[in-house]
Amino acid sequence: MSTYDVMIVGSGGGGGVAAGVLSEAGKKVLLLERGRALSFAEVGRDHLRNQRFSEYGHNAGPDVIGNPRIYEDFAGEVIVPPNDGRYQANAASLGGGTQVFGAQAWRFMPQDFRMASTYGVPEGSSLADWCISFDDLAPYYERAEWEIGVCGDHARMTHLPAYAKPYPMPPIGVNLQGQTLRRGAQSLGWMTSPVPLLINSVDYGGRAACIHCQHCVGFACPVDAKNGTGNTVIARALATGNCTLVTEAMVERITVSESGRVTGVAYVLDGVRVEATAEVVIVSAGAIESARLLLNSASAREQSGLGNNHDQVGRHLQGHYYPGAVGLFPDAVQDNVGPGVTTATMQFNHGNDGIIGGGMLADEFVVLPIIFWKRKLPPDLPRWGAANKAFMRDNYLRVADVTGPVQEIPSPDARVTVNPQMRDSTGIPVAKLSGTTHPETVRTAAFMHERAREWLRASGAVKVWGTSPRLRLSAGQHQAGTCRMGDDPQSSVVDRWGRVHGHDNLFVMDASVHVTNGGFNPVLTIMALAFRAAEHLAETW
Amino acid sequence: MTAYRFVNSECLFEKGNRFMLTTAHVEILQALINRILPADDDPGGWEAGVGDYLFAQFERDLKSLLPLYEVGLAALDAEAQVGYGFGFVQISPSEQDALLTRVEVGAVAAVWAVDPIVFFRRVVNHCAEGYYSDPDNGGNKAAASWTMIGFEVTG
Repeated sequence: MSTYDVMIVGSGGGGGVAAGVLSEAGKKVLLLERGRALSFAEVGRDHLRNQRFSEYGHNAGPDVIGNPRIYEDFAGEVIVPPNDGRYQANAASLGGGTQVFGAQAWRFMPQDFRMASTYGVPEGSSLADWCISFDDLAPYYERAEWEIGVCGDHARMTHLPAYAKPYPMPPIGVNLQGQTLRRGAQSLGWMTSPVPLLINSVDYGGRAACIHCQHCVGFACPVDAKNGTGNTVIARALATGNCTLVTEAMVERITVSESGRVTGVAYVLDGVRVEATAEVVIVSAGAIESARLLLNSASAREQSGLGNNHDQVGRHLQGHYYPGAVGLFPDAVQDNVGPGVTTATMQFNHGNDGIIGGGMLADEFVVLPIIFWKRKLPPDLPRWGAANKAFMRDNYLRVADVTGPVQEIPSPDARVTVNPQMRDSTGIPVAKLSGTTHPETVRTAAFMHERAREWLRASGAVKVWGTSPRLRLSAGQHQAGTCRMGDDPQSSVVDRWGRVHGHDNLFVMDASVHVTNGGFNPVLTIMALAFRAAEHLAETW
Repeated sequence: MTAYRFVNSECLFEKGNRFMLTTAHVEILQALINRILPADDDPGGWEAGVGDYLFAQFERDLKSLLPLYEVGLAALDAEAQVGYGFGFVQISPSEQDALLTRVEVGAVAAVWAVDPIVFFRRVVNHCAEGYYSDPDNGGNKAAASWTMIGFEVTG
């Protein structure tokens, strides 16, 4: 007899949704989160230590000390802390990244589930179709939009099949940057839409509407208008009385019986090792940490890690290239109205001559002054002295910024492995990251970089700049792909319901299961997949 | 832990720490900060609190870089001596700028115990952090830089 029906590792977009669905289905749930539950004040507004700019640390974890990873490239291996870009950090607090995210709530497009059929498979890539389709996921996108709470204009999403139901809230109003870019897109004949956001544009879910502050992405919301898992599905899970939440619990490994069947997890809490049993274990720790956990859970039957008898766990690591551009305008194009992102074009997600896939482009969130100084200044501007200061003074409000996620072409060599010689502060072997994305990703990103420049010029920019993408490992906050979903156990880790091949009671519910990652922010897809998988699990229990 | 007093623009690191910024170091640092972020209609770097930001960070994230500052500031002074026969704080702002333009690309004449390019790039970045980040980090007094550029916090 197990202590719990279900144990869920991680409370982000996937695990939080699973906790809500299964608790409401009457299952006894243990939700384990490595991070802390953070208040608005605890997240704070430190411009040098946040999830958008982590020069000296993060405001929502992981802590800089005690959580290293190993990063390997052509120059060799290096140990990196969480605030090093090569670490590919995602937030580690209650709600995962969803307390401090930018909250863009995109559905993937039907073509995003059929990338190999649409474009063929470039040599050396592991580009593949999903085993499920957009139509399979559409009802769950809708469920996420209504149960977590999305604002937007469904009628303007003309790149997608028609919505069965509109968004529950109207879009956030357009700011000056958005108005400028909408005129530019119109002159080019490009489609645009308001950016759908997991943000209350009006009162919703018993919480207030957005007050348009300047500290949205990378920070917590001062009026709790940002809809993550912590203030929605996890709150619902706890309200059932069926869900036990334990924070600051770092899971070491999944435990198995002698026959190799999953029995629960072992975790570290306040320095003490704890084991708990469950009928079902769901791994939702994010693409890097979920792979790490499976690889750290070797058994006699699966000596290279659970679900890894075909060497698939940890491979195909991907994220999103963000090939943006920056434009200088004759007049102010910024009015300090947050969140800032208002306007997107889906003109180039697919159908680009000679290019595999593409991506969405949108205006940037309100850019904090120090981020502006570090990342947005023209390359020919002196970095110091009177000219630098004058540029900041004269142009901070006259610069617009266009960027967006490029659908990556995955490589099997971009991967997570574990290194038993290197352990974190709890004694658990750390993740090692190696490989790069496929060169076709760089070609698509270069194409999108040119589109960003084109958009800014057409919108009236008198000068445009930005850096061309180069080949590297990509994962970051949109990390995905390391426990690929598929019907064939030889080439995937989980089945179409998130169940690990060869196991009846082990699941992965996060972006690890994404076969490809779309040309959109992935969180709504993570949530929709978790709604679908958790509902199926509850119904077939 | 390093103890220091910050009184009347003088920072004195007390004994017990191998690397110390002397009053002379701090004078050079002040002059350097004010060339990286010169005063005009808006406050210069030192007046805006970049020094206070750095002193706070020398006890926190930049603790390990205190030796770099100590050695780099001394080298900057030596560079001025070689080029102009005076210390860095004694030469004119335009001479300081000309000197820093050379340091930025590593075209130095004095003996540097640290890489001048690395030293200068780091100091410039730290100065921008002190000037443009949130006042809670010790710099950007009264959010002067935000007023200057038009970044307004409304909620």
